[in-house]
Amino acid sequence: MDRTGSRLLPGLVSFVAVLAIWELAGRYRLVNTVLLPPPSMIAATLWQIVRTGTFLAPLGQTFLLLFVGYALACGFGIALGIAMGRSEPIYCFLEPLIELMRPIPKAALVPPLFLFLGFGATMKVTIVALAAFFPILIATIQGVRGVDRIALDTARTFGCPPVRMIFKIILPASLPMIVTGMRVGLGLGLIVVVLAEMLAGEGGLGYLILDMQRSFAVRQMYAWIVILAVAGLTINAVFEFVEARAIPWRSK
Amino acid sequence: MSAFLSVDAISKTFTVGKQTLSALGRISIEIERTEFVAVLGPSGCGKSTLLQIIAGLIPPTSGRVMLDGKAVTAPPRDMVYLFQQYNKSLFPWRTVLDNVAFPLEIQGNSSGRSVRQRCLEYIAMVGLSGSEDQYPWQLSGGMQQRAAIARALAAEPSVLLMDEPFSAVDALTKLELQTLLLDIWAKHRLTVVLVTHDVDEAVFMADRVAMLSARPSTIASVTDIALPRPRDTIATRESASFLSLRHGLLDTLLKKDRPGPTPDEVRVTMDGAAHG
Repeated sequence: MDRTGSRLLPGLVSFVAVLAIWELAGRYRLVNTVLLPPPSMIAATLWQIVRTGTFLAPLGQTFLLLFVGYALACGFGIALGIAMGRSEPIYCFLEPLIELMRPIPKAALVPPLFLFLGFGATMKVTIVALAAFFPILIATIQGVRGVDRIALDTARTFGCPPVRMIFKIILPASLPMIVTGMRVGLGLGLIVVVLAEMLAGEGGLGYLILDMQRSFAVRQMYAWIVILAVAGLTINAVFEFVEARAIPWRSK
Repeated sequence: MSAFLSVDAISKTFTVGKQTLSALGRISIEIERTEFVAVLGPSGCGKSTLLQIIAGLIPPTSGRVMLDGKAVTAPPRDMVYLFQQYNKSLFPWRTVLDNVAFPLEIQGNSSGRSVRQRCLEYIAMVGLSGSEDQYPWQLSGGMQQRAAIARALAAEPSVLLMDEPFSAVDALTKLELQTLLLDIWAKHRLTVVLVTHDVDEAVFMADRVAMLSARPSTIASVTDIALPRPRDTIATRESASFLSLRHGLLDTLLKKDRPGPTPDEVRVTMDGAAHG
């Protein structure tokens, strides 16, 4: 406990220091408080939003879009990754296509998606799925290809049939790699969902942040950014919690 | 009436680029039920390739393997393979207990006593009681190979194939594991094929030692090891007959190695034959 404390303390000091400088800069008019209100004022606005529960609906909307898109990305990414990692013909067939699409920043695909899917939930779920799909796919392919021959041969000598091989050996053996891809995918998904909400303007955290800025409700804008940051932190913490339980064999 | 396990004129050639390399040339050997046969040979002579063909893991270029009258085309259910690389063979995502339970899961064999109870018995048999809930990375090398042995036993095989199973553990552990395996072999009436480059180990454990020549390997000689059983880690190794058998085999092995294959040839053979 003592050690954890001594490790956390420096980080806390820097955090508090930045807040204090920011606060003082506002109080002494070193910055324009209309554009950058001091933390105390943002906190008051934030408390208002939290206390009244106003944050729940937009947060829920953003999370729902994120998770539906992310779940699709995980499902397709892992399934296709296993297929491509195990089958040389499938890999050769799809690899050039994927290498071509992978480097496109998925944010650039939001405008064309508007054309086909409109401004609704379908478009946002699709763009999240697209953004998260590629890192998960690539990590899965690498993980599956990296499964040791001896582990596979061992299972074969015990009579393990090919389909069960996927669930008994290939998936668990490549799980640490897959989870690494899933972590990257989740981060990209969060970025893209906020961006899509800003561009499509139909509610959600991204929409609210942009909307507050346009209506010059600067304090509210910052408050919503804080809510988004806390939401991101929470997602990450949940991910790490699940990861530790999904891969209990990973040596510390 | 043919033998329980018969290797019939097996040959294996590998194609590396445009070259074809003959690793095994017409190997035949007949192994009786409950017999313990060691296959001895220098590194890169294709011993592991031979064992993998017997196991049904890779197909031979010509010839066939028969187990109890049936041709081996895929790994047979009652044949189990103990790998040299126990750290890669044990599944890191499973505890010792779950590793040992793996063959039972695959066979869907949950009749009678509970699976857990049976696995714990195998774990006790290899001296790992108390470690059943640990993950492989928490165990020493010798303990990992013990866990792999327990898992092999859980499959209730009649044939145990071992590919240099003790070459990666320390010298003392090696002696312990050799005796442990001889006990298990006798108790379970297993048929064992042991591949090794260790003359001492081959003579100490086996009923017969088949010596392979350099590539393309053929069986150069078969030596009966008429040492009394049960064999003792220390006393057996000090007996005059042990020493003379060891002397003879070492002598042939070292002579056969001169002139040996060039280092380049050995490397290519190993690339093609072994686990990469």
